[in-house]
Amino acid sequence: MDRERLAYQVAEILLRHLPQGAEPSAVEAVTADLVRLLEAQASGVAATDEPPGRRLVVLTVLGRNHSGIVHAFSEVLAEAAVDIVDINQTIVHGNFAMMMIVDPTSAKLSFSDLKAALKRRGDEVGVQVFVQYEDLMRALNRI
Amino acid sequence: MDYTRREILETLRMTELEHFDVRTVTLGVSLLDCGHEDPEEAGRRVYAKLMRVAGPLPGVVAEITEALGIRVANRRIAVSPVALIGTKAEPASYLAIARAIDRAAQEMGFDFVGGYTALVHDGFTRADRALIASMPEALSTTKTLCSSVNAGSSRTGLNLDAVRLVAHMLKETAYLTRESGSLGCAKFVIFANAVEDNPFMAGAFHGIGLPEVVVHTGVSGPGVVCQAIRRAGPCDLRALAEVIKRSAYKITKVGEILGRQVADRMGVPFGIVDLSLAPTPELGDSVGEVLEAMGLERTGACGTTAALAMLTDAVKKGGVMATSAVGGLSGAFIPVSEDAAMIAAVREGALSLEKLEAMTSVCSVGLDMVAVPGDVSEELLTGFIADELAIGVINHKTTAVRVIPAYGKGVGEIVSFGGLLGEAPVMDLRRLSCETFVRRGGQMPAPITSLRN
Repeated sequence: MDRERLAYQVAEILLRHLPQGAEPSAVEAVTADLVRLLEAQASGVAATDEPPGRRLVVLTVLGRNHSGIVHAFSEVLAEAAVDIVDINQTIVHGNFAMMMIVDPTSAKLSFSDLKAALKRRGDEVGVQVFVQYEDLMRALNRI
Repeated sequence: MDYTRREILETLRMTELEHFDVRTVTLGVSLLDCGHEDPEEAGRRVYAKLMRVAGPLPGVVAEITEALGIRVANRRIAVSPVALIGTKAEPASYLAIARAIDRAAQEMGFDFVGGYTALVHDGFTRADRALIASMPEALSTTKTLCSSVNAGSSRTGLNLDAVRLVAHMLKETAYLTRESGSLGCAKFVIFANAVEDNPFMAGAFHGIGLPEVVVHTGVSGPGVVCQAIRRAGPCDLRALAEVIKRSAYKITKVGEILGRQVADRMGVPFGIVDLSLAPTPELGDSVGEVLEAMGLERTGACGTTAALAMLTDAVKKGGVMATSAVGGLSGAFIPVSEDAAMIAAVREGALSLEKLEAMTSVCSVGLDMVAVPGDVSEELLTGFIADELAIGVINHKTTAVRVIPAYGKGVGEIVSFGGLLGEAPVMDLRRLSCETFVRRGGQMPAPITSLRN
């Protein structure tokens, strides 16, 4: 789908759902953002403008499913000012699996303190927690 | 998400479930500037240099492994062959240096230091003789020090006098460390075609062609390969080779990433990744188990040498894709005492010394961690070692012998070393005499294939 048509459709959807009298410039800005996101998704490139050299952290949580697991970890991350870049969560046979890609660039904690805090939260919630920089994920799976 | 769920979980399975660890981060350090005619002063210089250069390594490794989410089993140092450190050529001189090295290593929390080494593949210097004479005491009175002798090369042939000297030395070391299963002998290895950048013990030393300081890594990972083979199920050999290559790629890549990051942080060059499959006595971390997963009832069965040849080759092919800095020994290790499936095979009578010898012609490195009865003669031990080194000399490969003539032990008894060194059932040697042959002495000439220019 070409870009203009996509933008037109997105704007149409926005106007249909937004209350009357929405600021046209706001609609335009949201449309532009959404178009960029959709295009990036379609081409398989990460939607965010990733600054070069940014080293992300992969947080993996595995265990028995119960309520509040995502909340438990996003709370620790929010308190540490760690940005969640991406999140993927699924339930397989009652087992909970969540992978988060987080950006610790402006974190208030050092990596090892953050890791310890997340592990502690894992113990409280009763799930296994693995925290590591993305280096291995990046290097091992793609040639 | 940049990584799929499958990729993340596969990486975790490898690091968390399949015993994957990087066996060693080894810091190579030149000690050639530490010589002094007063051995005590030479020792002080060695101690000071090691403390200064190697001190930060354990901390750096701890920090980086935590960040990457992997484990490193050992932190080690490889020093210049100690016989090359200029000092008075007497055994006591080298003992002073041995103690200085061991003290520094223990204070800094290193597991082993290699390099109490003499390179005598084409003859001895006075220093070499003094160093070898000091080995029994050095190996029995230090904890971390590892020692080696290079007694042959494809370029020079085999120095049989050196082999005999080593056989004598081993018997003495076995006696001096008799209380601990002749453990001293487990910290010594004799080579043909020793390599300068080997990060593994007991044979690591910092070669004279290397930079001042350098970081090497040695990977492990038979568990990862074994599980991948099991998951592959009944496939043909080409497909199996592919499975092994893919696993070796991943294992090696981890070694490369870790090594480069450690070297960066230490501010020194990165050397090599040794992509050998190194087992530990732990269940599920065994090369023998890999061979059995390939389809053998037991290691030692017919087909063992073929399976090992294919495994070693596939590991190399996968490994070289993952790094352009392959070095060291790079192949599969088959140390008997450090490998649960090998120990079981020997106990059941499935694996003999002769079969092990055949296996070493297609893998690195050699007869490793084999225990033989304490009463074998020096000549028999010489012949036993010479056989293995001849395989290396003629075939242009590294071969080695790490043999424990276990004092006071007979065939079938178990010698226990503990830790990564494991335990070895005492195996019998053919008791036919080779005395007249080995007493001829001298240098076995270099093979015709040495003339390559």
